[in-house]
Amino acid sequence: MKSIQLQPDTAFINNLEATIENDGPFSAWELFRMTYQVELTTMSPSFNGLRSLEHLPHITFLDHQVKCAELVVETMNGRAILADEVGLGKTIEAGLVLKEYMIRGMVKKALLLVPASLVNQWVTELNEKFYIPAVAHRKNYSWEQCDIIVSSIDTAKRSPHREAILDIDYDFLLIDEAHKLKNHKTKNYAFVRSLNKKYCLLLTATPVQNKLIEIFNLVSILKPGHLGNYESFLEQYGKDRTQVKRDVYLKQLIQKVMIRNTRESTSLNNTSRKIETVWIDFTPEEMAVYDQISESVASFSTFSKITFLRELCSSREACYLSLKKTATEAEQATAIEDVLTEIEQLPHHVKAQKAVELIKNIGDEKVIIFTEYRASQHYLQWYLQQHGITSVPFRGGFKRGKKDWMRQLFKDRAQVLIATEAGGEGINLQFCNHLINYDLPWNPMRIEQRIGRIHRYGQNKDVHIYNFAIRQTIEEHIMNLLYEKINLFEQVIGQLDDILTDLNINDMESEIQGIYAESTSVGEAKIKLNNLSEMIKQTQGVSRSVE
Amino acid sequence: MMEIANLSDFLEGYFSSHHCELLANHDGVMTVQLTEQMDRDLMNRPFYWHYVKSTGNSGQPMKLTLITNPNRRDEQGEWIHFGSPRLQQIINHLKQNEKYTKLFQRVHTNTNTPLYPWLVCNIKISYQGKQKKDELISIGLHLVNGTMHTDMMQRLQEIGLHMTISDYCYPISPMIKLKSGYLRIESVINNYIEHQSHEWAEASLETLEEEIKTLQYFYTADNNPEQMEKELNEIRQRYNPKITSEVMNGGIFYLTEGFI
Repeated sequence: MKSIQLQPDTAFINNLEATIENDGPFSAWELFRMTYQVELTTMSPSFNGLRSLEHLPHITFLDHQVKCAELVVETMNGRAILADEVGLGKTIEAGLVLKEYMIRGMVKKALLLVPASLVNQWVTELNEKFYIPAVAHRKNYSWEQCDIIVSSIDTAKRSPHREAILDIDYDFLLIDEAHKLKNHKTKNYAFVRSLNKKYCLLLTATPVQNKLIEIFNLVSILKPGHLGNYESFLEQYGKDRTQVKRDVYLKQLIQKVMIRNTRESTSLNNTSRKIETVWIDFTPEEMAVYDQISESVASFSTFSKITFLRELCSSREACYLSLKKTATEAEQATAIEDVLTEIEQLPHHVKAQKAVELIKNIGDEKVIIFTEYRASQHYLQWYLQQHGITSVPFRGGFKRGKKDWMRQLFKDRAQVLIATEAGGEGINLQFCNHLINYDLPWNPMRIEQRIGRIHRYGQNKDVHIYNFAIRQTIEEHIMNLLYEKINLFEQVIGQLDDILTDLNINDMESEIQGIYAESTSVGEAKIKLNNLSEMIKQTQGVSRSVE
Repeated sequence: MMEIANLSDFLEGYFSSHHCELLANHDGVMTVQLTEQMDRDLMNRPFYWHYVKSTGNSGQPMKLTLITNPNRRDEQGEWIHFGSPRLQQIINHLKQNEKYTKLFQRVHTNTNTPLYPWLVCNIKISYQGKQKKDELISIGLHLVNGTMHTDMMQRLQEIGLHMTISDYCYPISPMIKLKSGYLRIESVINNYIEHQSHEWAEASLETLEEEIKTLQYFYTADNNPEQMEKELNEIRQRYNPKITSEVMNGGIFYLTEGFI
């Protein structure tokens, strides 16, 4: 075939002649033969299949990860959006793809652009799990010299790095958290578009279906024109995301460049979630204070009243601190002073006592406690210590190094990790399988993020989730009317994200706050909450039946 | 078959060919005493050797314990397997150093025996379209009468080969020069490639055309010739079918007339 480009070897024979001229050095037969053997053993005799699996016998891959890598290499020709749900191992899939291309000699130069806080984690994973000699970009390294570089996009797009990078033809480009590129008008987007690349993976955990135009923008990095051009696309689909579900053709097109595994569809289902609601009763003293705040209609805005109530359900300290803060600003200082005095009298919080009881029942195993409030976190740490339970704190705001350190302490030294923020993308705590939701966030997505820290790839035990809720309080409403009704803990929230977008609800938290603020009585708020969850349930039913 | 079937045997051969003493080898765990040269090549500690030599000492090469039995991988030593960094290093060490050779067939004789020169090339042919595959061919060319074989390594395995010529043996000078011999081999390879059916290349070209059309549609409205040219290039690089051949190793072999 004329259209095939041939590249013969021109160097060998000259070098052999020169070696003979110099009378050596020559290889002994045994070593010469072994080199041939090595070549026979390490070459790839077939176009298909993953050679990388033979090279990584120390990792147990899950079926969906292997299938994903195969699909990317064999069918998608090395350009794809990997959009698995959180915790299914997108990094593993990407590592497999990169490894495969390297083994087959198809990738030499690779650039991986990941969030700054994840650079080191990527480098470690690639080196330790995949034996891929990746390095983090450092000031003195040149982009030219290192073959596999991990960097943040913010570093990469700045001069002089930008110019150096644009000069290089990359065989492989990876963007982690690619949903941040969804807007085509940003500098980051333009920068990524301008990179010279052969194979390309975009990783994202958030379902990008939210807005069609965002999908369009991501696909245009991989395969411009695959979804048409900007104008024709807008004309045909507008900005209505529900089109994806209605338009089978569009869905197929998207599936050609995007892989999305869900927990439901993968073997991760093997470890299940045991969910338990732990009902707690306030002591009469605590209930009295709760009612006092609840009934002091005049004193505060509805918004802050709800906050105080939620805080009191978490700890005296949380509520005390924010009341105190309000007292210095507000006019009704005396009313607040009264409540403060009452709080000071309160015994230890019923929830804290329950937590200790539960942890002692769990025995030696590790436990994570999530709370919404810093004050509760401090209090709990102290209170657990009083009962001989070791714990370490964890906050989203910790620097990367401190996060790693706390994780290590938790793994090796402490029984309990008390965290205020699930956020901290990428912290993996699979060695733990008990989680206490000490208080419930009003944003259901945060629940999934919390659970995702432990119920993820690598977890081989069933995961126990304990949800604390205090009877006859605002927590009971949220628990009964919202969480339990729509089965939030059991099913994966990926769907919920879609549903909320369908319903035009951007922020669940403010939605619920709105309900309370605009209701004149507890009864009214309950009815409205109920309506909200009914609506969500209905939409759930609809989208299920469409898929 | 010449592929590596037993990694333990392979490593044993590798280290003993490099004159490293095997201190222990049992049930997939082996310990070797490295020589200074092998320590320098494998252990990556140039500063140690620099320091030792500068103080006038001879230095102590390290011992290396390698575990090939995965059931014992948690014991003291390095677990070595396909894909592990140590085996990769050994493989690279072989590929770098064992490229050229000149060898003589071992002959036990007391009469004058001529040995005929063969040019042997172990050539890896790689076919790259959407995916890539390799093929390894071992070609030998008789540099006097032009006879050719394509399973040379298999045949050579059956005889003894040494770096020095046996007693009573003498080498015959090549009639065909090395370079022209190599050209003959190359043309045989090209002929071989030409007579294959290349569905993989057709499939790749088809995808190439499709993606170019898609791209052109994308840019019908978005007029940005520079960006489009960049992306066209990327598509061509990704899908243009190509075949590379590379001689992995080779050399001159002096063999008896009866070798064939």
